[in-house]
Order: sequence, then structure tokens, then C-alpha cells
Amino acid sequence: MIALEQWHRVQQFLFHEARLLDERRLQEWLALYTDDAEYWVPYAWEQQSPQDHVSLFYETKSLLSMRIDRLERELSPLDSPMARVNHYLTNVTVEGSAELTARAHLLFVEHRREEQRWFAGRSSWRLRPRGEGFLIAAKRVDLLNADQDQGHLRFAVPF
Amino acid sequence: MREENGSKAYAELVGRGRVHRRFYTDPEVFAEEQARIFRRVWLWLGHDSQLRQPGDFFTARLAGERVIVARHTDGAIHAFHNRCTHRGAEVCPAAAGNARNFVCPYHAWTYRTDGSLASVPLDQGYGADWRSRVAGLGLEPVARVSSYRGFLFGSHAAQGESLETYLGPQVRAAFDNLVDRAPDGEIELAGGKTVQRYRGNWKLQLENSIDLLHPRILHRSAIDAADRVDHGGQPPSIEWDIVKSNGLTLREWDGMQIAAMPGGHCWMAGFLTKAIDENALQARYRKMMVERYGEERASQILAFNRHNTIVYPNLFVNSRVAQIRVLQPVSVDCTEQHGYIFRLKGAPEEMFEASVRMVNTNNSPSSIVTSDDHEIFERIQQSLAGGRHEWVDLSRGLEHEASPEGTNELPMRNQHRAWAQYMQA
Repeated sequence: MIALEQWHRVQQFLFHEARLLDERRLQEWLALYTDDAEYWVPYAWEQQSPQDHVSLFYETKSLLSMRIDRLERELSPLDSPMARVNHYLTNVTVEGSAELTARAHLLFVEHRREEQRWFAGRSSWRLRPRGEGFLIAAKRVDLLNADQDQGHLRFAVPF
Repeated sequence: MREENGSKAYAELVGRGRVHRRFYTDPEVFAEEQARIFRRVWLWLGHDSQLRQPGDFFTARLAGERVIVARHTDGAIHAFHNRCTHRGAEVCPAAAGNARNFVCPYHAWTYRTDGSLASVPLDQGYGADWRSRVAGLGLEPVARVSSYRGFLFGSHAAQGESLETYLGPQVRAAFDNLVDRAPDGEIELAGGKTVQRYRGNWKLQLENSIDLLHPRILHRSAIDAADRVDHGGQPPSIEWDIVKSNGLTLREWDGMQIAAMPGGHCWMAGFLTKAIDENALQARYRKMMVERYGEERASQILAFNRHNTIVYPNLFVNSRVAQIRVLQPVSVDCTEQHGYIFRLKGAPEEMFEASVRMVNTNNSPSSIVTSDDHEIFERIQQSLAGGRHEWVDLSRGLEHEASPEGTNELPMRNQHRAWAQYMQA
């Protein structure tokens, strides 16, 4: 069983990541990721691989950086006005020792152009210890409705 | 529209170099389009490779109606409505699979994979003439099903031109090229699908896909971001390329080749950067193609460089990158765009993986390219609902349609001329 203090440290880190997204501190958010990090939001439920099946997001740090750069330049009609988002994390569990695996349930609420959208999902992270904190080596978010038949309207801000 | 004389009035929504705003916003126009266009033409259903074995099936939408497409025990492909002839329940909820029979979950009416009714529980209860009625109680067949090079199409119209005639030689060339690009001469639909939804009229995407004036302007935020990426000496990714490629100058876009064909179809030349052609993977693939087809034929196949071939009214064929997209109009102001990928048999698997990644970036709801298009469609849809301006301008290049420059709006006018013909016929 993971020590209480470790669990607390991981949870604080995940809350910090969520807060950076919510507050649009996107460069700081990206700095939490390792250079070889993988950010993945599958398109299919229990999707096995991002290589042979499409994904909602499947990005390297370089692609995430391009995405964020675009949002920060404020030229995209998609993001004007900017979406306001909240990430809620619950049911946080942690496993492992050197490299940790954290899991949480996610509730994501986005408000933009007089509309509020809600998404529920399950997030997991591979975390590498760095000093007192961590770096994210991989993040995966499985939306409950990833593969819904009618499709999705656009996503601007990552989960 | 109601008080006017039907079909003629619809055609009047398309003027010289302009269309009336009701063309995009009027629910009656939308209903009439479904009847006069979508229920008459050939619409893409799927691909042969989804039906390898007898009993293999997939479900699809044909002009908004749910249908099942299945390979029967005799090897023939059948398409029929996914609606029990008893009380109307959906017979098959799965997207795809293999089945011996389709059994309605409500009262267990059971249908064979050719749609015929196989059995009904307690069938003696249906009266003395039951035996004679059974033949007519199979799942309602789609009026016509046909295929070209493995691409399956359906039509709700019992009469009409053949699929080959409907497509015409230039559209057929796009399908030919997609298949010919496989070293084994065979392709398969694979890798799932993307579904992007936007709250705008279906024709906005149809026009946008051949609008060469917009990429440099609308997609500037993504292009600028791509320009600033440091590849660190590594070859650029396919994801980067599809974003970067939109960044041609307006002059370069204007120099691109476009073509408009009878029936509302059109195509535009390729514009991806040279980076996706000039790498080790492409060299390996080219060698395979030469081994399979010989130098001359392989060069010919690979030189076919169209970005899009747009099949009126709702299909986009990207032969060059083995992708297909199809529009499913939901209502006058809501549209789904479904994206599919093909694996080229005999080609390096990395090419398929690159197509998957390209689709993630270009056709997923998280796309940093097409999201901007869909955002604009929604704004158009909202603003066309009001205001004093009745007409939308599409006059660019009207005076030189015979030799159109890349940003000529000829292909859009060509789509709208086909629209007017269907609507008044």
C-alpha cells in the first residue's frame, strides 16, 4: 500500500496540473511533461493502441506545444471567446515505486459562447519523480462517450 | 416557399454568382433536398473489405435512414432498412459484426442476411393467409446497391443512371488511384472513424473543401504555430505537415489546379509539402510499387496528385493519403462529418500509421485545422438567420470559368448548379 504522504503528494500534483489548465497557464502546464511524453485521449472505449486506430488526441510534446502556441496567439476563431473550463478530479489512487501510476475520475466542464458542456472520464498518468515533485511521462484520458455515434463538437483545451 | 410554385421557386435560390440565404437556413429547403437530392443519387455506404465472409455486416446511414449492409451465404451483398417489419424496432444495434440471422429483440422476428424473413414465433396466430404474406415481410431492401472498385454505394431511387455513369471518369479515377496505390492492388477500411459535428448546413463544408482562398487566412493561427516548431534536426511529423501545408501564400493557392465536372463533382490538386514525399519511408514504398507495377506504371500512379475529389453531394476522396470523408446532414443547421482511413495492402505499415495520425490532427474534434472551419460554419449559420442581406456572394472568377485560377469559386457554383437541377427536376 502506498504511503499516505506519497498519495497526498501525487494528489496535490494532479490538482496542480488541473489548476494550470483551468487558469490557462498552458506553458506552465506543458512544462510538467517530459520531453518524450505521450498525451492520449482514445476514440474507442478500451482502445488498445494509438498506432492502428484514430484518437481524439494523440500528441507528442512538440504537437502539444504547437496546439498551445496557437491558443496563446489568440488568432483562432475556435478559441475566441476563450473557453472557461474546470477539471474535477476524484477517486485518486496511486501505485508503483520508482515510476508511479496515478488514476482518477475526471469531470470536465467547459463554458463557451453561452453553452456549457460536461464530460466524464477516467484519467491515468505515468509519473516520474523529479525533486520534491513529478514529471508526467504519459497521460491518458478515457471519456465515457469517446465513441458516441453522433460525434463531438470541437475541443480546444486539452483534458 | 409554400405559396409559390414548388420546384421552380427552389431553383431560384441559386442566382448568378450568388445564393439566397434560405439555401442554408430554411428547414423546408432541407426536407426538399433530402427528397430530391439525397434520395435520388448514389451515396457511399462502405467498402467491400468490411464484408469479407458470408454473414459479415455493418450498419450505415443512407440519406438519414438506418440500413444494414450484409454479405449473404451466397456471397452477394444486400442492403436493407434496419427496421423490423413487425412493429418497427431497430433489428441490429451493432456497428459491425458477423451474424447468421438478425433477430429483432422485441418479438424475435428473425431475418436472414439477405433480409428475407426466416421465422416468427407462434406464427399460426397471424391468420389463414400468413403463408402468402411472409414473402413481403422481409426487411425493406435499399432500392439499389452497386460497387465500384470495392466502394459500395446505395440509392433509395429504383430508377436512375448506373453508379459508373453517376461518378463519371474523373471521379472514378480518384477511386482507381486509391486502390492502385496499394502494392498488392487491394485496400481495406481500417482504424476506426472520426465524427465531427457542427451546427451548420451541410453545404458549408462542401463549399469549404474546395475553397482555396480561405486556408492561409482562416488557419493562420495553426500555420504560424507550425512555423515556429523546432524539429531539432528530426524529420517533421505528418501531423505538422498537414498543418503547415495550409500556409501556401495566396498567390500559390491561386496557382493551384482545380476542376469542375458535370453532376456537381470537382477536384483540386495536391498541396502537401514535399517533406511527406521525400523521406526514407516513401522511397521504400516507391520501390515496392515499382516491383509490383513496373517503373512506368508506378510513376504514373504516384504522380496522380489530387488533394480532394469531391463527389456531389457528400463525399470527399483523398486518394493521395488513402482517406475518405462523408457528410451526414442531420438537419438544416446540423451536420456530421465522418472520416475513414484505408490500409494499402502490401505497403509499409508505417504509412497506415501516418494516415491515422494525419486524421487525428485533421479530422478529429480536437483538430487544430478543421475546428476553425466548423467554428466559422456555425457563425455563418447564426448570422444568415437575420439581417437585411438576402444573398451570399459566390461570384469570384465568374468571368473566367473556362480557365479557372485556384481561388475561382467555380467548383462551388458548379455544386449549386447541380443542386438547382436536382431541385427543379
